[in-house]
Amino acid sequence: MSAQKTKQGKKTKEGKKAKKEKDDGLIRFKINGQPVQAREGWTILETARQNGVKIPTLCFHPAVEAIGSCRLCVVEIQQNGHTRVAASCITPVQGGVDVLTDSEEVQNVRRWVLEMLLAHCPASHQIRELAKEYGVTSTRFKTEHPEDACPRCGLCVRACDEIVGIRAISLGNRGVFKEVTAPYHQRSVDCIRCGTCLYICPTGAMEQLFPQVSAP
Amino acid sequence: MKPENRIGIFLCECGGKIGNRIDLPQVSELLRYEPWEHLGVYPYPCLAPGLEAIKQDVQAKGLNRILVGGCSSRVMKKRFTKALAPLGVERHQVEMINLKDHVAAVHEATPQELAHKAAALIAGGMASLRLLEPFEPVSLTFEGPALIMGGGFSGFIAARELARHGMESVLFSKAQSPERVLDELHWTFPGCRIFCGDLADLLREVFTHPRVKVMPDQPIDYIVGGVGDYHVGLKQPDGSVTEVAGAAIITALDREYGPGNIDYIGGGERVCDLLELEEKLGAGDISPGKMVFWVNSPQHGQAAQELAAMAAWRDSLVLAREHPQVQPMVVYPANITLPLSGNDLREARTQGIGLMSYAPEVHPVVQSGFLSFVSPGDNLEHEVEWDTLVVPGAPADPVEKAQELLRWLPIYPENGGRLQKSHIKFWPDQIPDESLFFTGSAGGVCDLNEVIQQGKKAARGVLNLREKALQGKLVSPVVVHVDKDLCEGCGLCTEICPCGGIEHVKPGSGPIARETDNHLCSGGGTCAATCPYEAIKVLNNSTQQLEARLKAILSRMQENEILGFVCGWGGLASAEQAAVKGLTYPKGIYLTPVNCLGSLDPFILSMAFLNGAKGIMLAGCTPKHSCHYHYGVDHCWYRVNAMKKLLSLAGLERRRIAIGYVEVNEPESFVRMVEANMDVLDKLPPLPQDDQTKARLWAIHATLHRPRVRWVLGTSLRRPTEKEFPGSQFNAVDADETMLEVLREEFLAARIIKAISDQPLNPPGIALTMGEPVKSITPLLPDMAQEGRIKLQGWEGGYPIYGLGKK
Repeated sequence: MSAQKTKQGKKTKEGKKAKKEKDDGLIRFKINGQPVQAREGWTILETARQNGVKIPTLCFHPAVEAIGSCRLCVVEIQQNGHTRVAASCITPVQGGVDVLTDSEEVQNVRRWVLEMLLAHCPASHQIRELAKEYGVTSTRFKTEHPEDACPRCGLCVRACDEIVGIRAISLGNRGVFKEVTAPYHQRSVDCIRCGTCLYICPTGAMEQLFPQVSAP
Repeated sequence: MKPENRIGIFLCECGGKIGNRIDLPQVSELLRYEPWEHLGVYPYPCLAPGLEAIKQDVQAKGLNRILVGGCSSRVMKKRFTKALAPLGVERHQVEMINLKDHVAAVHEATPQELAHKAAALIAGGMASLRLLEPFEPVSLTFEGPALIMGGGFSGFIAARELARHGMESVLFSKAQSPERVLDELHWTFPGCRIFCGDLADLLREVFTHPRVKVMPDQPIDYIVGGVGDYHVGLKQPDGSVTEVAGAAIITALDREYGPGNIDYIGGGERVCDLLELEEKLGAGDISPGKMVFWVNSPQHGQAAQELAAMAAWRDSLVLAREHPQVQPMVVYPANITLPLSGNDLREARTQGIGLMSYAPEVHPVVQSGFLSFVSPGDNLEHEVEWDTLVVPGAPADPVEKAQELLRWLPIYPENGGRLQKSHIKFWPDQIPDESLFFTGSAGGVCDLNEVIQQGKKAARGVLNLREKALQGKLVSPVVVHVDKDLCEGCGLCTEICPCGGIEHVKPGSGPIARETDNHLCSGGGTCAATCPYEAIKVLNNSTQQLEARLKAILSRMQENEILGFVCGWGGLASAEQAAVKGLTYPKGIYLTPVNCLGSLDPFILSMAFLNGAKGIMLAGCTPKHSCHYHYGVDHCWYRVNAMKKLLSLAGLERRRIAIGYVEVNEPESFVRMVEANMDVLDKLPPLPQDDQTKARLWAIHATLHRPRVRWVLGTSLRRPTEKEFPGSQFNAVDADETMLEVLREEFLAARIIKAISDQPLNPPGIALTMGEPVKSITPLLPDMAQEGRIKLQGWEGGYPIYGLGKK
């Protein structure tokens, strides 16, 4: 995953050099060979969806800022004979590139991500379904918590902050110990029980977590 | 001038999640004759390309009402309002209909069938948007001092903070000097003596500061006014009332401690509680020897025990420093968290203060000179020797003075005597600036340090209001509006309002129209649903808007379909969660989310039946603790109950209306509730469409508009904790029968009016039209004529002729 992150950093520098059509402010590029138009500030994911191209996502929700944590939305970006793989939800559009959403390379990365997710949060029905869609039914990684359904994408945490404005929940710990929790591992009395986190959770994990983070 | 309504409808395909399940082109077709300026289908209106397209349409067509047919308003509305704000579109001008979670994802019908349902819900949203009224927010002044009431210690901190920031305050305090305050402090905060030096400095600053006026605590006669302009009446010993005005009120209330439970221990002078010990410390009258602090009384809760352990520790420190002839030891239950740091423990060792925990399962036993307890470490019984045994004081209920204050403020006692201010659980943007400041340990057992922080926080809140006012930004959002011409000043709304949003009036000032304090209003709307004269309006969420919405939906519903109301919290969250979880339920229920079920006016229910609804289901939060508007759902229960009574009076089935309770994380329960209710209603025929039934439904509707009925209904909205019943009624059945009696009489009167609405009739004629025996209506006719509800238009064949208009 870290390898992709460095690629990501390189890409933003290139992004500034993007060729722009001055006349109408439109940025023209191709997705899977189909010419598309976008405006400054749109992401590749948004442009793809606008044009009916499906890209799977997990940690993306239009109501909150994208952070590109799940890496399921990766696409291949070809430019001047170079190619790189980037998370489409946080990659701004760039003129003149060819974006491939379902290439060999992209599928390979996605399958890896799904295998990791399958090992990390095997209890999620949604994750299993998504994995099956990409032909991933087993994982080569060790499953330590078979009852875990949470991919730690932080969507619930961002929703509680950005949509609700309460910040009743947060991501605690780091790395493999990362978890969704309330401050001090106490059930949060600040929680207003609006259910936004439950609604936005892409894997159904919040249903189990909710009683642990919210004080009735 | 009222700007023209220009509605734009934006339907979302949601990448197929909606588009594949609902035939959106057909939805557009079904809405063809509705008065919109723009209607379009978008793949993803919420993503940047979609938002850009919406903005272009809004600008090009001058749209000022935006309806998005997409997903959850709770989650997505902010995205749209934020994007459209630069174009001058306000939050309330954006309406979202949740096609995904209320239609597409939860029903198994064909896209064409679902298109009908989607179109009905959208038509409802449009009808509601058409009735939006522009209103001007009111700028508030914020002049005068802060009034700090209640006498809690946090008040002094608040006064100091305010004074340091150049704001004046009036502080009401029983003690009139720093020394007196400190002398009494241990009644509310045992173990505080160790801080007395620092606190004395603080108190001296408060008492001598030119911006703080310390006034003696006086009984309160009234608190009226609102944020920026409060008036407090104080009862004087001679019976007169003096008034103090202020811009804000800080309520500082501390919980007092009473004598500890020491009678059963005995031991005379050798056994005392923490309060007595503090007094002895003050007098310097401490007998030497081993002093054991025993933290007992688990019945007061762990928090109280922790506080007692802390107090014992602090007193031990004072003893160790000032009275070396005493050897203190604290014995505390092992199940509490000893609130001491590593430094404290080191200090305990150097000072020779013992700290021992006991297993709480085995109650320690007091002997003469010994206390035996079981150690959780080795399960062995140990004994400690004592010359003096000290136990904690017992937390007392709020004192009478506090109760008096609470009568005027939206602060309520909860279970266990803990006080809690209104507005506990809301979205931050649902309420404007924090303007109800309640501090002190009466809100929950806490330490002096925490109370000091609360006082500072309250002062910062007041300063924030003043700052906003200085910039001209202290704006009353205008949520609730009272129509002065309709208001009769009965005060029922003030009684019923949980949040203090409807102001009090001075006692004895008679029936004067109420003012609202929209800074405190939570928008629960039970006041509007209660008002006997229908004088209260929740702006841009009005009953009239809801009525229009439901009429539009009902006109597109089929005869075997039903209406559903979900409250914005438990009900809505569970309904939407059902969609997220992939659960399904029959499509015959048309859900309308409301803020709180308590905002549903009873005549909304009757209107639905009058307009052909086969049945109604309401889903709200579980009563008592989870209703976000305190008693909203309870209030709704009484309205549903009245509706049931009226249905059975009209000869219709009571089970056509049902209320259920569901929590935020219970989608399965919601689905079960819908399925069960649909099963019940499937067995019932659609509402009969004959004239007799229609006349009766009309009469039900008219009955629920009657001020008398609404008054009786309003006064019977009890809070669940209340054991008393209004008026001369003594029990539940009595109260219910009174309600029924009033409904029966008014229902009959309404039917009489309906019977003579077309043509004047004599009593037998009226009875024949109503299908009732003559003798059941004759006693009512002269009374109604006397009240002017019907007119005696002449005599014919020895019978009076009654009509509605003049003769």
